[in-house]
Amino acid sequence: MKKLELIKIVITVLLCALLVVPIILSNHSWPTQARDYLFDNARSDTGATNTVSAIYLGYRAMDTLGETLVLLVSVTGTMAILVKLGKEHSDEEATSFSLAPEKRPTNRLRTHLLETVASKLGPIVLLFGFYVMLYGHISPGGGFQGGVIVASAIVFLALGTEVKSKLTNTLVLSRIEALSFLVLILASISGVFFESGFFGNPIKSASSLSANFIILLNIIIGLKVGTSIAVMCIAMMGGSHDH
Amino acid sequence: MIIERILIALLFLSGFTAIVGMRNIIRKVFGLNLLNAAVVLLFILEGSRIGNQAPILDEGITTMVDPIPQALMLTAIVIGVCVTALSLALAVRLYRATGSLDIQVITERLQREH
Amino acid sequence: MNMLLLSLILALGIYALLSRDLLHSVIALSAISMLSALLFTILRAPDVAITEAAVGAGVSTVIFVWAIRHTQRRDKEES
Repeated sequence: MKKLELIKIVITVLLCALLVVPIILSNHSWPTQARDYLFDNARSDTGATNTVSAIYLGYRAMDTLGETLVLLVSVTGTMAILVKLGKEHSDEEATSFSLAPEKRPTNRLRTHLLETVASKLGPIVLLFGFYVMLYGHISPGGGFQGGVIVASAIVFLALGTEVKSKLTNTLVLSRIEALSFLVLILASISGVFFESGFFGNPIKSASSLSANFIILLNIIIGLKVGTSIAVMCIAMMGGSHDH
Repeated sequence: MIIERILIALLFLSGFTAIVGMRNIIRKVFGLNLLNAAVVLLFILEGSRIGNQAPILDEGITTMVDPIPQALMLTAIVIGVCVTALSLALAVRLYRATGSLDIQVITERLQREH
Repeated sequence: MNMLLLSLILALGIYALLSRDLLHSVIALSAISMLSALLFTILRAPDVAITEAAVGAGVSTVIFVWAIRHTQRRDKEES
C-alpha cells in the first residue's frame, strides 16, 4: 500500500511539472506599451506620483474593492470559528496569556521584559503606520501597507500593560471596521452621481491638491484593514472577553 | 536569467509536493504558502527586465520598471494571508473534533462516527 | 546576487517541509518572507517589499504560532 501511494504522488507531481515548468522557463520579450503609457499619463489622470498607487486606486479600483471584500469574509469566518473554540475549551493554560498579572498562574510566557518593551514601542509603530498610510501617493506605501503596520502596533499595545486604552477593546475596533467599510461603499457609488462613472473622482477640481480622492481612499482602506486584522489577532491571544 | 527561473520552478514544485504528499495538515498549509511565494517572485522578476529604476515619477527618471505586475502582486499577497488564516482555523477545529492532525486518521475517525 | 538569495530561499523552504519540530518550520517561513522582501527591494519594487515584510513577518507568523500552540508542536509520524 505504501508503494502505491508513492507512485500516485510521483505521477501527480510529474504531470504538474509537465504543465507548469515550460511556462516558467519561457523567454519571450516583455512588452513595453503599458509602461510607456503610464509614464506619460499617470500623473495627469489621477494626480499621484506613485505609479503603483495610481493603478490599484485609480485605473483598477474594482480589484481593490474585491480584495477588501475577501479580507472581510475571511476575518469573519476565522472569528466565528475562534469564538466557538473559546467557549468549548476554557482551560487555564490557553488563556493565561491575557489575564491580569495578579491572576495568572505562572509568569513564564509573558515576562516583565516583554510587557515593558512592547508598551513603549507601541505608539511609535502606530505613528509610523499612519505616516505610511497618508503619504502613499508620493512615496512607497499606501492603504494596505499602513493598515498592516497599524495592526501590528495595536497588537504591541495589547501585549503591554502600562496603560489600558480603548484601542485594544474589540468592540470599538469592530465598530470602526464596519463604519469604514460603509464609507468605502459610499465613496465608490458617489462617482456615479457626479458624472464620473463608478469609482470615478467626484471632487475633481475642488481644491489645489489634485490627489485628494486617492488620499481619502488610502485612509479608508488603511483603517479597515488595520482594525480587522487587529481584532483577529487579539481574539487569537485570548483577550476578547469584553465583546 | 535561466538559472533563476529554474530555482523558482523548483520552489513551485516543492510547494506542490507538500500539498499532495505530506500527511500533516499544517504541512499542507506550509506548502500553500511556498506556492504563493514562488508565483509572486516569478512575476516581479519578469517585470523588472525592461527598466532599471523604481516606478515613482520623480524628476529625471527615464526608464522605469513595469508597474503592473507589482500592483497585481499586492492583491495576491493579501489574499494569500487570508486563505492561510481561514485554513489554519479549520485545522484547529478538526484537531479539537478528532484528536489528531494526520489526514488519514481524521478521515477514518470521521467515517466511524457516521 | 539574485541567484544567491533565491538558492537560500529554496534551501529554507525544503528545511521547512522536512523538519520534525513545527516551530522551526514557522521560523523558516518567516525568514523566507524577509529574504523575499530583500529581493524585491533589489528588483526595484518597494511597495511589494513593504507589504511582504509587514504581512509575512507580522501577521502570518502570529497566526501560525497560534495554530501550533493549540495543536501539537511535534510531528508524531513520518511524512
